[in-house]
Amino acid sequence: MTPSPEGRPEETDMELIDRWKAGDSRAATRLVGRHSEALARFAASVGEREGIEELVQDTFIRAFASLDSFRGASTLRTWLFTIERRLMLDRRRAERRSRETVPVEESDHVSEYGALDSLIAEEAQERVRKSLDALSPTQREVFTLRVQQGLSYKEIAEVVGSTEGATRVHYHNALKTVKEFLKDE
Amino acid sequence: MNKCTDSNIQEMLPDLLHGKLPADARERVEAHLATCDECREDVEVLRTVKTAAVFAPQIDVDRVVRQIPPYRAIVPVTERPASTRMVSWLVAAALAVVVVGGGSLVLMRPNAGKVQSPVASTELPPRPTATESTSGVSGVQNGGISVKTATSTAPARPRALALAANVDDLSDGDLVQLMNDMSRFDALPASEPDPVIAVDSGL
Repeated sequence: MTPSPEGRPEETDMELIDRWKAGDSRAATRLVGRHSEALARFAASVGEREGIEELVQDTFIRAFASLDSFRGASTLRTWLFTIERRLMLDRRRAERRSRETVPVEESDHVSEYGALDSLIAEEAQERVRKSLDALSPTQREVFTLRVQQGLSYKEIAEVVGSTEGATRVHYHNALKTVKEFLKDE
Repeated sequence: MNKCTDSNIQEMLPDLLHGKLPADARERVEAHLATCDECREDVEVLRTVKTAAVFAPQIDVDRVVRQIPPYRAIVPVTERPASTRMVSWLVAAALAVVVVGGGSLVLMRPNAGKVQSPVASTELPPRPTATESTSGVSGVQNGGISVKTATSTAPARPRALALAANVDDLSDGDLVQLMNDMSRFDALPASEPDPVIAVDSGL
C-alpha cells in the first residue's frame, strides 16, 4: 500500500470499492480520479479522436454497474481497460455502419480537439503518433498498454482477449516498426 | 551495433521504465545496458513513446462520478432446497399414479359408465337419388349425416348406429346391426364436411 500525499497509506482499489458499496460516494471519486487519465490516454493512443470523455464516462458507468462481478483476479485498471476496449470496438462498429449509410460531411473530418492538439503538441508527440499509426490495431493496443501503461503480457492478453505468447510477438513486431519509423524521421 | 541476444533483458525494459522491477533485476538490467547498444537504443525509443504520450483530453472526474448510479447489490436468486424439490416431485408422481390407476379401474369395471352416458346415434340417410346428386344440393341439409344425442334409456331404435358412445350399452342385436351398417360404409366421413359446390346451379 503506497502512502498518500497526506502521509496516510493509500487505500487499495478493493478497499475503495467496498467503501463505495457501503454508500461512500467519495470512494467513487477516488477511483475515477485514479484511473480516468490512464483510460483517456489509452483511448487516444489507440486512435480514438472524438468523444474520449464520454467513452471514459461510459466505461466507469458500466464498470460500477457490474462491480459485483469484479473479483479482483486482475487489477481494476486491467478490468477497466477491457471494458473500455469493448466500448471502443462497439463504437467503431457503429461508426462503420453509419458511414455505410450516412454521407460524410466535410466538417466531420475535423476532430474535436485536432486544432488544439496541433497547436500544443510537440514534435516528439507528432512523431510518436505517426509511428503508432504505422502499426496494426492489435499491435498498437499491445504496444501502448505495454509501454505507456506498463501492463504485463498477462494483463495485456486479458484486455485484448489473446494469449501471452501472441501479445509478446505483437509487442516485439511493434517495437521494431516504431524504431525504424523514428530512425527514418 | 551489437545484436542483443538476451531476450529476458529485452522483455524487462518497459518494466524498468515504469519502475516495476525488483532491486536485483533492476541492477542486472542496468549492468546489461552499460554494455549493450541495441538495448540502450530500445530504452530510448520506449522512453520517447512513454513520455510523448498522445494528447488526451482532461477528464472531469466529478462529472463522471455524477453519472454513476448508486450501488445496488445483486440479490442472488434463492433456490429451494433439494429436499423441498424432491417432495414436490413425489407429490406429483403420487397424484399421477392415483389419476391413471383410478381411471383404469373405472374403465375396466364391467358396467362402468352405464348410467347417464350419452350415446350418439346416427341415422343413416336414405341414399341420394341420381337427380339429387347432380343437383349439387346434397350434403348437410339434404342428404348429410344428422347426429342426435340420446341417453342409454332409449337405445332400441331399429336401425341405429352408435359412433361415439359406450358400446357396452348396446345389446347383441344392436351390435350386429352396427357391424352390418358399418360394412355398408364406403369410407369414414371426414371430420368436417366438404364445402358444397353447386355444379349445375347455373351460377
